[in-house]
Amino acid sequence: MNQIIVNIVVTTAILIIVSQSFSLIYYAAKFFHLTHAVIITFGAYFFYLFSKQLDFNIWAALSLAVICATGIGMLAEISIYKPLRKRKTTPLIMVITSLGLYVIMQNVISMIWGDDTKSIRTWDIKAGNEILGAYITDVQIVIIVSSLVLFIGIFLCLKYTKIGKNIRAISSNEELSNIFGINSNRVILWSFGIGSALAAIAGILVAIDTDMTPTMGFNLLLYGVVAMIIGGVGSTWGLVGGALLLATAQHLSAYYIDSKWMDAVAYIILILFLIWKPLGFSGKRLKKIEI
Amino acid sequence: MEYILHILIMIVIYIMLAHSLNLVAGFSNMISLAHAGFYGIGAYTTAILSVNYDLPFLVTLPLAMIISGLVAMIVSVIALRTVDDYFIIITLGIQIVLFSIMNNWMELTRGPLGIPGIPSISILGLEFDNKVLFLLLSLILAGVVFFIIRNITTSPFGKVLKALSEDEIFTQSLGKNVYKAKIISFTTGAMIAAVPGVLYAHYISYIDPTSFTVMESIFILSIVIIGGMRNLYGAIIAAAFLIILPEALRFIGLPNNVAANLRQIIYGIILVFMMFRYSKGFVLQQKI
Repeated sequence: MNQIIVNIVVTTAILIIVSQSFSLIYYAAKFFHLTHAVIITFGAYFFYLFSKQLDFNIWAALSLAVICATGIGMLAEISIYKPLRKRKTTPLIMVITSLGLYVIMQNVISMIWGDDTKSIRTWDIKAGNEILGAYITDVQIVIIVSSLVLFIGIFLCLKYTKIGKNIRAISSNEELSNIFGINSNRVILWSFGIGSALAAIAGILVAIDTDMTPTMGFNLLLYGVVAMIIGGVGSTWGLVGGALLLATAQHLSAYYIDSKWMDAVAYIILILFLIWKPLGFSGKRLKKIEI
Repeated sequence: MEYILHILIMIVIYIMLAHSLNLVAGFSNMISLAHAGFYGIGAYTTAILSVNYDLPFLVTLPLAMIISGLVAMIVSVIALRTVDDYFIIITLGIQIVLFSIMNNWMELTRGPLGIPGIPSISILGLEFDNKVLFLLLSLILAGVVFFIIRNITTSPFGKVLKALSEDEIFTQSLGKNVYKAKIISFTTGAMIAAVPGVLYAHYISYIDPTSFTVMESIFILSIVIIGGMRNLYGAIIAAAFLIILPEALRFIGLPNNVAANLRQIIYGIILVFMMFRYSKGFVLQQKI
Protein backbone atom coordinates (compact mmCIF):
# COMPACT_ATOMS: atom_id res chain seq x y z
CA MET A 1 0.00 0.00 0.00
CA ASN A 2 2.86 2.35 0.85
CA GLN A 3 4.31 1.63 -2.56
CA ILE A 4 1.08 2.83 -4.18
CA ILE A 5 1.25 6.08 -2.21
CA VAL A 6 4.81 6.64 -3.40
CA ASN A 7 3.78 5.96 -6.99
CA ILE A 8 0.84 8.32 -6.67
CA VAL A 9 3.09 11.08 -5.34
CA VAL A 10 5.58 10.64 -8.19
CA THR A 11 2.86 10.65 -10.86
CA THR A 12 1.18 13.65 -9.25
CA ALA A 13 4.49 15.52 -9.31
CA ILE A 14 4.92 14.88 -13.04
CA LEU A 15 1.31 15.72 -13.82
CA ILE A 16 1.56 18.99 -11.91
CA ILE A 17 4.54 20.18 -13.98
CA VAL A 18 2.92 19.14 -17.28
CA SER A 19 -0.46 20.52 -16.37
CA GLN A 20 0.96 23.78 -15.08
CA SER A 21 3.14 24.32 -18.12
CA PHE A 22 0.15 23.69 -20.36
CA SER A 23 -2.26 25.85 -18.43
CA LEU A 24 0.19 28.74 -18.32
CA ILE A 25 -0.01 28.89 -22.10
CA TYR A 26 -3.73 28.23 -22.01
CA TYR A 27 -4.37 31.17 -19.67
CA ALA A 28 -2.54 33.62 -21.87
CA ALA A 29 -3.27 32.37 -25.39
CA LYS A 30 -6.67 30.78 -24.62
CA PHE A 31 -6.46 27.74 -26.85
CA PHE A 32 -5.38 24.11 -26.48
CA HIS A 33 -1.76 24.17 -27.58
CA LEU A 34 -1.51 20.46 -28.41
CA THR A 35 1.93 20.96 -29.97
CA HIS A 36 3.01 21.21 -26.36
CA ALA A 37 3.16 17.40 -26.38
CA VAL A 38 6.02 17.52 -28.83
CA ILE A 39 7.87 20.13 -26.74
CA ILE A 40 7.88 17.58 -23.91
CA THR A 41 9.27 14.98 -26.30
CA PHE A 42 11.78 17.43 -27.76
CA GLY A 43 13.08 18.18 -24.27
CA ALA A 44 13.77 14.49 -23.71
CA TYR A 45 15.32 13.90 -27.13
CA PHE A 46 17.52 17.00 -27.02
CA PHE A 47 18.75 15.84 -23.63
CA TYR A 48 19.49 12.45 -25.18
CA LEU A 49 21.31 14.16 -28.06
CA PHE A 50 23.49 16.36 -25.85
CA SER A 51 24.15 14.00 -22.99
CA LYS A 52 24.53 10.71 -24.80
CA GLN A 53 25.28 11.33 -28.46
CA LEU A 54 27.48 14.41 -27.96
CA ASP A 55 28.77 13.48 -24.49
CA PHE A 56 28.29 16.86 -22.79
CA ASN A 57 28.26 16.96 -19.03
CA ILE A 58 24.86 16.56 -17.46
CA TRP A 59 24.20 20.19 -16.46
CA ALA A 60 25.28 21.58 -19.82
CA ALA A 61 23.13 18.99 -21.58
CA LEU A 62 20.19 19.81 -19.34
CA SER A 63 20.32 23.55 -19.93
CA LEU A 64 20.97 23.20 -23.67
CA ALA A 65 18.05 20.78 -24.03
CA VAL A 66 15.70 23.11 -22.17
CA ILE A 67 16.85 26.09 -24.23
CA CYS A 68 16.42 24.25 -27.56
CA ALA A 69 12.96 22.91 -26.69
CA THR A 70 11.88 26.33 -25.44
CA GLY A 71 13.13 27.82 -28.68
CA ILE A 72 10.94 25.45 -30.66
CA GLY A 73 7.91 26.35 -28.55
CA MET A 74 8.51 30.06 -29.03
CA LEU A 75 9.20 29.61 -32.73
CA ALA A 76 5.81 27.93 -33.15
CA GLU A 77 4.18 30.91 -31.43
CA ILE A 78 6.03 33.51 -33.51
CA SER A 79 5.76 31.85 -36.90
CA ILE A 80 2.33 30.20 -36.77
CA TYR A 81 0.11 31.27 -33.90
CA LYS A 82 0.86 34.98 -33.93
CA PRO A 83 -0.07 35.53 -37.60
CA LEU A 84 -3.20 33.45 -37.03
CA ARG A 85 -4.13 35.48 -33.98
CA LYS A 86 -3.76 38.65 -36.03
CA ARG A 87 -6.50 37.31 -38.29
CA LYS A 88 -8.77 36.91 -35.27
CA THR A 89 -8.86 33.15 -35.49
CA THR A 90 -11.24 31.12 -33.32
CA PRO A 91 -9.78 28.75 -30.70
CA LEU A 92 -11.17 25.83 -32.72
CA ILE A 93 -8.97 26.65 -35.71
CA MET A 94 -6.01 27.14 -33.39
CA VAL A 95 -6.47 23.64 -31.93
CA ILE A 96 -6.48 22.07 -35.39
CA THR A 97 -3.41 24.10 -36.34
CA SER A 98 -1.60 22.90 -33.24
CA LEU A 99 -2.65 19.34 -34.10
CA GLY A 100 -1.12 19.78 -37.57
CA LEU A 101 2.07 21.16 -36.04
CA TYR A 102 2.14 18.23 -33.64
CA VAL A 103 1.94 15.77 -36.53
CA ILE A 104 4.78 17.54 -38.35
CA MET A 105 7.13 17.76 -35.39
CA GLN A 106 6.46 14.29 -34.03
CA ASN A 107 7.39 12.84 -37.41
CA VAL A 108 10.50 14.99 -37.55
CA ILE A 109 11.54 13.38 -34.26
CA SER A 110 10.77 9.91 -35.63
CA MET A 111 12.80 10.65 -38.74
CA ILE A 112 15.84 11.92 -36.84
CA TRP A 113 15.96 9.52 -33.90
CA GLY A 114 13.87 6.57 -35.07
CA ASP A 115 10.73 5.06 -33.55
CA ASP A 116 12.37 2.70 -31.06
CA THR A 117 12.59 3.25 -27.31
CA LYS A 118 15.65 5.23 -26.26
CA SER A 119 17.19 5.27 -22.82
CA ILE A 120 19.21 8.10 -21.29
CA ARG A 121 20.33 6.10 -18.31
CA THR A 122 24.09 5.57 -18.22
CA TRP A 123 24.25 4.33 -14.68
CA ASP A 124 23.21 0.95 -13.32
CA ILE A 125 19.71 0.44 -12.05
CA LYS A 126 19.67 0.44 -8.27
CA ALA A 127 17.01 -1.03 -6.05
CA GLY A 128 16.06 2.37 -4.70
CA ASN A 129 15.80 3.71 -1.19
CA GLU A 130 13.45 2.15 1.26
CA ILE A 131 11.00 4.39 3.08
CA LEU A 132 8.39 2.76 5.32
CA GLY A 133 8.42 -0.43 3.31
CA ALA A 134 8.12 1.32 -0.06
CA TYR A 135 10.87 1.71 -2.61
CA ILE A 136 11.66 5.03 -4.22
CA THR A 137 14.49 5.56 -6.69
CA ASP A 138 16.81 8.56 -6.66
CA VAL A 139 15.32 9.77 -9.92
CA GLN A 140 11.87 9.76 -8.41
CA ILE A 141 13.08 11.83 -5.47
CA VAL A 142 14.56 14.30 -7.96
CA ILE A 143 11.19 14.39 -9.77
CA ILE A 144 9.27 15.15 -6.59
CA VAL A 145 11.70 17.80 -5.38
CA SER A 146 12.01 19.59 -8.73
CA SER A 147 8.28 19.50 -9.28
CA LEU A 148 7.74 21.07 -5.85
CA VAL A 149 10.35 23.76 -6.52
CA LEU A 150 8.99 24.55 -9.97
CA PHE A 151 5.40 24.61 -8.77
CA ILE A 152 6.15 27.05 -5.97
CA GLY A 153 8.41 29.09 -8.25
CA ILE A 154 5.74 29.49 -10.92
CA PHE A 155 3.08 30.17 -8.31
CA LEU A 156 5.14 33.00 -6.81
CA CYS A 157 6.13 34.23 -10.25
CA LEU A 158 2.49 34.50 -11.31
CA LYS A 159 1.62 36.31 -8.10
CA TYR A 160 4.43 38.77 -7.61
CA THR A 161 6.56 39.39 -10.72
CA LYS A 162 5.66 41.78 -13.52
CA ILE A 163 5.52 39.04 -16.16
CA GLY A 164 3.30 36.91 -13.96
CA LYS A 165 0.95 39.77 -13.30
CA ASN A 166 0.83 40.58 -17.01
CA ILE A 167 -0.03 36.96 -17.85
CA ARG A 168 -2.86 37.04 -15.34
CA ALA A 169 -4.05 40.36 -16.70
CA ILE A 170 -4.11 39.05 -20.26
CA SER A 171 -5.90 35.90 -19.18
CA SER A 172 -8.64 37.79 -17.40
CA ASN A 173 -9.26 40.52 -19.97
CA GLU A 174 -7.08 40.92 -23.01
CA GLU A 175 -8.62 44.08 -24.43
CA LEU A 176 -8.53 45.95 -21.15
CA SER A 177 -4.89 44.97 -20.58
CA ASN A 178 -4.04 46.28 -24.04
CA ILE A 179 -5.62 49.58 -23.12
CA PHE A 180 -3.42 49.69 -20.03
CA GLY A 181 -0.37 49.31 -22.22
CA ILE A 182 0.35 45.61 -21.83
CA ASN A 183 1.59 44.19 -25.12
CA SER A 184 -0.41 40.98 -25.34
CA ASN A 185 1.78 39.42 -28.03
CA ARG A 186 4.87 39.83 -25.89
CA VAL A 187 3.14 38.43 -22.81
CA ILE A 188 1.85 35.42 -24.76
CA LEU A 189 5.37 34.84 -26.07
CA TRP A 190 6.64 34.91 -22.48
CA SER A 191 4.03 32.40 -21.42
CA PHE A 192 5.04 30.16 -24.31
CA GLY A 193 8.67 30.49 -23.23
CA ILE A 194 8.06 29.64 -19.57
CA GLY A 195 5.55 26.92 -20.41
CA SER A 196 7.83 25.26 -22.95
CA ALA A 197 10.79 25.33 -20.58
CA LEU A 198 8.69 23.63 -17.89
CA ALA A 199 7.45 21.07 -20.42
CA ALA A 200 11.01 20.30 -21.51
CA ILE A 201 12.05 19.74 -17.90
CA ALA A 202 9.05 17.44 -17.40
CA GLY A 203 9.99 15.54 -20.54
CA ILE A 204 13.58 15.08 -19.39
CA LEU A 205 12.52 13.89 -15.92
CA VAL A 206 10.05 11.39 -17.35
CA ALA A 207 12.59 10.16 -19.89
CA ILE A 208 15.18 9.53 -17.17
CA ASP A 209 12.60 7.67 -15.12
CA THR A 210 10.89 5.57 -17.78
CA ASP A 211 12.78 5.94 -21.11
CA MET A 212 11.35 7.62 -24.20
CA THR A 213 9.59 7.15 -27.53
CA PRO A 214 8.58 9.82 -30.07
CA THR A 215 4.96 9.64 -28.90
CA MET A 216 5.65 9.87 -25.17
CA GLY A 217 4.56 13.49 -24.93
CA PHE A 218 1.05 13.03 -26.24
CA ASN A 219 -0.31 10.85 -23.45
CA LEU A 220 1.46 12.92 -20.81
CA LEU A 221 -0.01 16.11 -22.20
CA LEU A 222 -3.49 14.65 -22.39
CA TYR A 223 -3.27 13.66 -18.72
CA GLY A 224 -2.17 17.21 -18.03
CA VAL A 225 -5.16 18.58 -19.94
CA VAL A 226 -7.51 16.25 -18.09
CA ALA A 227 -6.00 17.35 -14.75
CA MET A 228 -6.47 20.97 -15.78
CA ILE A 229 -10.10 20.51 -16.82
CA ILE A 230 -11.16 18.46 -13.80
CA GLY A 231 -9.33 20.86 -11.52
CA GLY A 232 -11.21 23.77 -12.99
CA VAL A 233 -9.54 25.94 -15.61
CA GLY A 234 -7.79 28.92 -14.13
CA SER A 235 -7.29 27.66 -10.61
CA THR A 236 -3.81 26.75 -9.36
CA TRP A 237 -4.96 24.70 -6.38
CA GLY A 238 -7.66 23.04 -8.45
CA LEU A 239 -4.89 21.93 -10.77
CA VAL A 240 -3.03 20.26 -7.91
CA GLY A 241 -6.26 18.58 -6.83
CA GLY A 242 -6.94 17.44 -10.38
CA ALA A 243 -3.45 15.99 -10.74
CA LEU A 244 -3.74 14.23 -7.39
CA LEU A 245 -7.17 12.80 -8.18
CA LEU A 246 -6.05 11.60 -11.60
CA ALA A 247 -2.86 10.00 -10.28
CA THR A 248 -4.74 8.31 -7.43
CA ALA A 249 -7.42 6.93 -9.74
CA GLN A 250 -4.82 5.65 -12.18
CA HIS A 251 -2.70 3.87 -9.62
CA LEU A 252 -5.66 2.41 -7.75
CA SER A 253 -7.07 1.09 -11.03
CA ALA A 254 -3.65 -0.29 -11.89
CA TYR A 255 -3.56 -2.04 -8.53
CA TYR A 256 -7.10 -3.38 -8.44
CA ILE A 257 -7.83 -3.98 -12.14
CA ASP A 258 -4.82 -3.88 -14.44
CA SER A 259 -2.23 -1.26 -15.35
CA LYS A 260 -3.23 -1.43 -19.02
CA TRP A 261 -6.50 0.37 -18.29
CA MET A 262 -4.77 3.50 -16.91
CA ASP A 263 -5.40 5.52 -20.09
CA ALA A 264 -9.06 4.66 -20.21
CA VAL A 265 -9.52 5.48 -16.52
CA ALA A 266 -8.17 9.00 -17.03
CA TYR A 267 -10.76 9.76 -19.70
CA ILE A 268 -13.58 8.05 -17.87
CA ILE A 269 -12.87 10.41 -14.98
CA LEU A 270 -12.96 13.34 -17.38
CA ILE A 271 -16.30 12.16 -18.78
CA LEU A 272 -17.75 11.60 -15.29
CA PHE A 273 -16.68 15.11 -14.33
CA LEU A 274 -18.36 16.51 -17.41
CA ILE A 275 -21.61 14.82 -16.44
CA TRP A 276 -21.75 15.72 -12.76
CA LYS A 277 -19.38 18.58 -12.20
CA PRO A 278 -18.70 20.20 -15.56
CA LEU A 279 -16.93 23.17 -14.01
CA GLY A 280 -14.27 21.20 -12.18
CA PHE A 281 -13.28 21.59 -8.53
CA SER A 282 -12.96 25.31 -8.52
CA GLY A 283 -16.37 25.95 -9.98
CA LYS A 284 -15.11 28.77 -12.16
CA ARG A 285 -17.63 29.42 -14.91
CA LEU A 286 -16.74 28.41 -18.41
CA LYS A 287 -18.91 29.45 -21.32
CA LYS A 288 -18.03 26.54 -23.57
CA ILE A 289 -19.36 23.85 -21.26
CA GLU A 290 -22.56 25.63 -20.45
CA ILE A 291 -24.42 26.23 -23.71
CA MET B 1 -2.16 -4.25 -61.64
CA GLU B 2 -2.89 -5.86 -58.26
CA TYR B 3 -1.01 -2.97 -56.67
CA ILE B 4 -3.06 -0.31 -58.47
CA LEU B 5 -6.26 -2.10 -57.51
CA HIS B 6 -5.12 -2.17 -53.88
CA ILE B 7 -4.52 1.57 -53.89
CA LEU B 8 -7.91 2.18 -55.51
CA ILE B 9 -9.67 0.09 -52.86
CA MET B 10 -7.91 1.99 -50.07
CA ILE B 11 -8.88 5.29 -51.69
CA VAL B 12 -12.53 4.23 -51.84
CA ILE B 13 -12.44 3.17 -48.16
CA TYR B 14 -10.99 6.52 -47.12
CA ILE B 15 -13.48 8.41 -49.28
CA MET B 16 -16.29 6.77 -47.32
CA LEU B 17 -14.60 7.65 -44.03
CA ALA B 18 -14.09 11.23 -45.12
CA HIS B 19 -17.70 11.55 -46.25
CA SER B 20 -19.03 10.25 -42.98
CA LEU B 21 -16.81 12.65 -41.05
CA ASN B 22 -17.84 15.47 -43.36
CA LEU B 23 -21.41 15.03 -42.20
CA VAL B 24 -20.28 15.41 -38.59
CA ALA B 25 -17.46 17.95 -38.89
CA GLY B 26 -18.35 19.86 -42.02
CA PHE B 27 -22.11 20.05 -42.02
CA SER B 28 -22.75 20.13 -38.28
CA ASN B 29 -19.53 21.80 -37.09
CA MET B 30 -18.54 19.09 -34.61
CA ILE B 31 -14.83 18.50 -35.22
CA SER B 32 -14.55 14.93 -34.00
CA LEU B 33 -11.30 13.06 -33.44
CA ALA B 34 -13.08 9.83 -32.50
CA HIS B 35 -13.79 8.72 -36.04
CA ALA B 36 -11.06 6.09 -36.25
CA GLY B 37 -12.67 4.57 -33.15
CA PHE B 38 -15.98 4.07 -34.94
CA TYR B 39 -14.16 2.83 -38.02
CA GLY B 40 -12.47 0.32 -35.68
CA ILE B 41 -15.77 -0.71 -34.08
CA GLY B 42 -17.06 -1.58 -37.55
CA ALA B 43 -13.97 -3.60 -38.37
CA TYR B 44 -13.88 -5.43 -35.02
CA THR B 45 -17.61 -6.23 -35.03
CA THR B 46 -17.49 -7.88 -38.41
CA ALA B 47 -14.20 -9.64 -37.61
CA ILE B 48 -15.44 -11.11 -34.34
CA LEU B 49 -18.84 -12.10 -35.73
CA SER B 50 -17.58 -13.67 -38.94
CA VAL B 51 -14.59 -15.48 -37.40
CA ASN B 52 -16.27 -16.76 -34.25
CA TYR B 53 -19.88 -17.20 -35.38
CA ASP B 54 -19.57 -17.60 -39.17
CA LEU B 55 -22.15 -14.90 -39.81
CA PRO B 56 -22.42 -13.70 -43.44
CA PHE B 57 -21.55 -10.19 -44.61
CA LEU B 58 -25.19 -9.20 -45.06
CA VAL B 59 -25.76 -9.79 -41.34
CA THR B 60 -22.51 -8.38 -39.96
CA LEU B 61 -22.70 -5.13 -41.93
CA PRO B 62 -25.96 -3.90 -40.38
CA LEU B 63 -24.92 -5.24 -36.96
CA ALA B 64 -21.62 -3.33 -37.17
CA MET B 65 -23.49 -0.18 -38.11
CA ILE B 66 -25.94 -0.61 -35.24
CA ILE B 67 -23.24 -1.24 -32.64
CA SER B 68 -21.15 1.70 -33.85
CA GLY B 69 -24.26 3.88 -33.85
CA LEU B 70 -25.23 2.81 -30.33
CA VAL B 71 -21.77 3.59 -28.97
CA ALA B 72 -21.78 6.91 -30.79
CA MET B 73 -25.20 7.80 -29.41
CA ILE B 74 -24.16 7.06 -25.83
CA VAL B 75 -20.92 9.01 -26.03
CA SER B 76 -22.41 11.91 -27.96
CA VAL B 77 -25.04 12.49 -25.28
CA ILE B 78 -22.12 13.26 -22.96
CA ALA B 79 -19.68 14.82 -25.40
CA LEU B 80 -22.20 17.23 -26.86
CA ARG B 81 -22.45 19.08 -23.57
CA THR B 82 -19.33 20.81 -24.81
CA VAL B 83 -18.61 22.76 -27.98
CA ASP B 84 -15.69 23.73 -30.21
CA ASP B 85 -12.25 23.09 -28.76
CA TYR B 86 -13.54 21.32 -25.65
CA PHE B 87 -15.47 18.98 -27.92
CA ILE B 88 -12.21 18.12 -29.70
CA ILE B 89 -10.55 17.23 -26.39
CA ILE B 90 -13.52 15.07 -25.35
CA THR B 91 -13.61 13.21 -28.66
CA LEU B 92 -9.86 12.72 -28.35
CA GLY B 93 -10.59 11.11 -24.98
CA ILE B 94 -13.30 8.90 -26.50
CA GLN B 95 -10.89 7.84 -29.22
CA ILE B 96 -8.28 6.86 -26.65
CA VAL B 97 -10.82 4.91 -24.57
CA LEU B 98 -12.03 3.04 -27.69
CA PHE B 99 -8.44 2.30 -28.71
CA SER B 100 -7.66 1.15 -25.22
CA ILE B 101 -10.61 -1.26 -25.33
CA MET B 102 -9.45 -2.68 -28.69
CA ASN B 103 -5.90 -2.95 -27.40
CA ASN B 104 -6.58 -4.36 -23.94
CA TRP B 105 -9.77 -6.40 -23.86
CA MET B 106 -7.92 -9.62 -24.63
CA GLU B 107 -10.94 -11.95 -24.36
CA LEU B 108 -12.92 -10.07 -26.99
CA THR B 109 -10.41 -8.50 -29.35
CA ARG B 110 -7.24 -10.49 -28.69
CA GLY B 111 -5.54 -7.17 -27.98
CA PRO B 112 -2.33 -6.34 -29.87
CA LEU B 113 -2.31 -9.81 -31.45
CA GLY B 114 -5.20 -8.78 -33.67
CA ILE B 115 -7.76 -11.00 -35.33
CA PRO B 116 -6.44 -13.03 -38.29
CA GLY B 117 -8.28 -15.13 -40.84
CA ILE B 118 -11.28 -12.93 -41.53
CA PRO B 119 -13.09 -14.60 -44.46
CA SER B 120 -13.70 -12.76 -47.71
CA ILE B 121 -17.12 -11.30 -48.35
CA SER B 122 -19.75 -13.53 -49.91
CA ILE B 123 -23.19 -12.28 -50.82
CA LEU B 124 -25.79 -14.91 -51.80
CA GLY B 125 -23.12 -17.33 -52.93
CA LEU B 126 -21.12 -14.75 -54.87
CA GLU B 127 -17.55 -14.63 -53.49
CA PHE B 128 -15.81 -11.26 -53.54
CA ASP B 129 -12.39 -12.80 -53.25
CA ASN B 130 -10.62 -11.05 -56.10
CA LYS B 131 -9.71 -7.42 -56.10
CA VAL B 132 -11.74 -6.33 -59.13
CA LEU B 133 -14.98 -7.60 -57.63
CA PHE B 134 -14.08 -6.14 -54.23
CA LEU B 135 -13.38 -2.77 -55.81
CA LEU B 136 -16.77 -2.89 -57.53
CA LEU B 137 -18.49 -3.71 -54.24
CA SER B 138 -16.71 -0.89 -52.42
CA LEU B 139 -17.54 1.52 -55.22
CA ILE B 140 -21.22 0.58 -54.99
CA LEU B 141 -21.21 1.05 -51.22
CA ALA B 142 -19.29 4.33 -51.57
CA GLY B 143 -21.92 5.48 -54.06
CA VAL B 144 -24.69 4.58 -51.63
CA VAL B 145 -22.88 6.44 -48.83
CA PHE B 146 -22.39 9.44 -51.09
CA PHE B 147 -26.07 9.62 -51.99
CA ILE B 148 -27.21 9.11 -48.40
CA ILE B 149 -25.02 11.95 -47.21
CA ARG B 150 -25.99 14.19 -50.09
CA ASN B 151 -29.65 13.52 -49.40
CA ILE B 152 -29.28 14.13 -45.68
CA THR B 153 -27.51 17.41 -46.24
CA THR B 154 -30.00 18.71 -48.79
CA SER B 155 -33.02 17.59 -46.77
CA PRO B 156 -34.78 19.89 -44.27
CA PHE B 157 -32.81 18.16 -41.52
CA GLY B 158 -29.60 19.08 -43.36
CA LYS B 159 -30.74 22.68 -43.37
CA VAL B 160 -31.14 22.52 -39.60
CA LEU B 161 -27.61 21.13 -39.32
CA LYS B 162 -26.19 23.90 -41.50
CA ALA B 163 -28.10 26.49 -39.51
CA LEU B 164 -26.88 25.20 -36.17
CA SER B 165 -23.31 25.08 -37.39
CA GLU B 166 -23.56 28.75 -38.27
CA ASP B 167 -25.39 29.97 -35.21
CA GLU B 168 -26.45 27.51 -32.57
CA ILE B 169 -28.37 29.82 -30.30
CA PHE B 170 -30.25 31.43 -33.17
CA THR B 171 -31.27 28.00 -34.49
CA GLN B 172 -32.51 27.12 -31.04
CA SER B 173 -34.56 30.28 -30.97
CA LEU B 174 -36.32 29.13 -34.14
CA GLY B 175 -37.65 26.18 -32.17
CA LYS B 176 -35.27 23.56 -33.52
CA ASN B 177 -33.92 20.97 -31.11
CA VAL B 178 -30.21 21.60 -31.60
CA TYR B 179 -29.01 18.99 -29.10
CA LYS B 180 -31.10 16.24 -30.73
CA ALA B 181 -30.06 17.23 -34.24
CA LYS B 182 -26.40 17.08 -33.23
CA ILE B 183 -26.82 13.64 -31.63
CA ILE B 184 -28.56 12.33 -34.76
CA SER B 185 -25.84 13.73 -36.99
CA PHE B 186 -23.01 12.33 -34.84
CA THR B 187 -24.68 8.91 -34.63
CA THR B 188 -25.35 8.77 -38.37
CA GLY B 189 -21.75 9.73 -39.06
CA ALA B 190 -20.49 6.94 -36.80
CA MET B 191 -22.86 4.39 -38.36
CA ILE B 192 -21.61 5.25 -41.83
CA ALA B 193 -17.99 5.11 -40.61
CA ALA B 194 -18.58 1.47 -39.64
CA VAL B 195 -19.15 0.55 -43.33
CA PRO B 196 -15.55 1.20 -44.48
CA GLY B 197 -14.43 -0.54 -41.28
CA VAL B 198 -16.32 -3.69 -42.29
CA LEU B 199 -14.89 -3.52 -45.82
CA TYR B 200 -11.36 -2.97 -44.52
CA ALA B 201 -11.54 -5.98 -42.17
CA HIS B 202 -12.74 -8.32 -44.91
CA TYR B 203 -10.31 -6.90 -47.45
CA ILE B 204 -7.10 -7.09 -45.39
CA SER B 205 -8.41 -10.26 -43.62
CA TYR B 206 -6.39 -9.32 -40.51
CA ILE B 207 -6.97 -6.42 -38.13
CA ASP B 208 -5.11 -5.12 -35.12
CA PRO B 209 -5.59 -1.98 -33.00
CA THR B 210 -2.75 -0.03 -34.67
CA SER B 211 -5.01 0.70 -37.66
CA PHE B 212 -7.40 2.67 -35.45
CA THR B 213 -5.21 5.09 -33.50
CA VAL B 214 -5.49 8.81 -32.82
CA MET B 215 -3.19 9.41 -35.78
CA GLU B 216 -5.74 7.71 -38.02
CA SER B 217 -8.42 10.05 -36.70
CA ILE B 218 -6.22 13.05 -37.43
CA PHE B 219 -5.59 11.65 -40.91
CA ILE B 220 -9.31 11.31 -41.66
CA LEU B 221 -9.90 14.82 -40.37
CA SER B 222 -7.10 16.11 -42.60
CA ILE B 223 -8.77 14.54 -45.64
CA VAL B 224 -11.97 16.38 -44.80
CA ILE B 225 -10.23 19.69 -44.16
CA ILE B 226 -7.92 19.48 -47.17
CA GLY B 227 -10.80 18.45 -49.42
CA GLY B 228 -12.82 21.33 -48.07
CA MET B 229 -15.44 21.34 -45.36
CA ARG B 230 -18.90 20.53 -46.75
CA ASN B 231 -17.33 19.63 -50.07
CA LEU B 232 -18.09 16.00 -50.93
CA TYR B 233 -16.24 16.08 -54.24
CA GLY B 234 -13.18 17.73 -52.70
CA ALA B 235 -12.92 14.89 -50.19
CA ILE B 236 -12.64 12.39 -53.06
CA ILE B 237 -9.68 14.26 -54.54
CA ALA B 238 -8.06 14.80 -51.13
CA ALA B 239 -8.38 11.11 -50.21
CA ALA B 240 -6.85 10.08 -53.53
CA PHE B 241 -4.02 12.57 -53.10
CA LEU B 242 -3.17 11.57 -49.53
CA ILE B 243 -3.27 7.82 -50.27
CA ILE B 244 -1.20 8.08 -53.45
CA LEU B 245 1.33 10.45 -51.83
CA PRO B 246 3.30 7.86 -49.78
CA GLU B 247 3.29 5.47 -52.74
CA ALA B 248 4.71 8.23 -54.93
CA LEU B 249 7.34 8.98 -52.29
CA ARG B 250 8.27 5.32 -52.22
CA PHE B 251 8.35 5.34 -56.01
CA ILE B 252 11.06 8.00 -56.11
CA GLY B 253 13.24 5.76 -53.97
CA LEU B 254 12.65 6.77 -50.37
CA PRO B 255 12.75 3.91 -47.88
CA ASN B 256 9.45 2.76 -46.42
CA ASN B 257 9.61 4.33 -42.96
CA VAL B 258 10.92 7.66 -44.23
CA ALA B 259 8.09 7.77 -46.77
CA ALA B 260 5.55 7.14 -44.01
CA ASN B 261 6.97 9.94 -41.86
CA LEU B 262 7.31 12.28 -44.81
CA ARG B 263 3.68 11.71 -45.76
CA GLN B 264 2.56 12.73 -42.29
CA ILE B 265 4.83 15.77 -42.37
CA ILE B 266 3.41 16.81 -45.73
CA TYR B 267 -0.20 16.50 -44.65
CA GLY B 268 0.62 18.27 -41.42
CA ILE B 269 2.05 21.17 -43.39
CA ILE B 270 -0.98 21.25 -45.70
CA LEU B 271 -3.25 21.16 -42.64
CA VAL B 272 -1.49 24.15 -41.07
CA PHE B 273 -1.69 26.09 -44.32
CA MET B 274 -5.37 25.25 -44.73
CA MET B 275 -5.94 26.73 -41.29
CA PHE B 276 -4.67 30.06 -42.56
CA ARG B 277 -7.31 29.84 -45.27
CA TYR B 278 -10.01 28.92 -42.77
CA SER B 279 -8.73 31.38 -40.20
CA LYS B 280 -12.12 33.04 -39.91
CA GLY B 281 -13.74 29.73 -38.99
CA PHE B 282 -15.07 26.93 -41.12
CA VAL B 283 -18.34 28.68 -41.67
CA LEU B 284 -18.30 32.28 -42.70
CA GLN B 285 -20.32 34.04 -40.10
CA GLN B 286 -21.81 37.08 -41.67
CA LYS B 287 -22.79 39.71 -39.18
CA ILE B 288 -25.57 41.97 -40.29
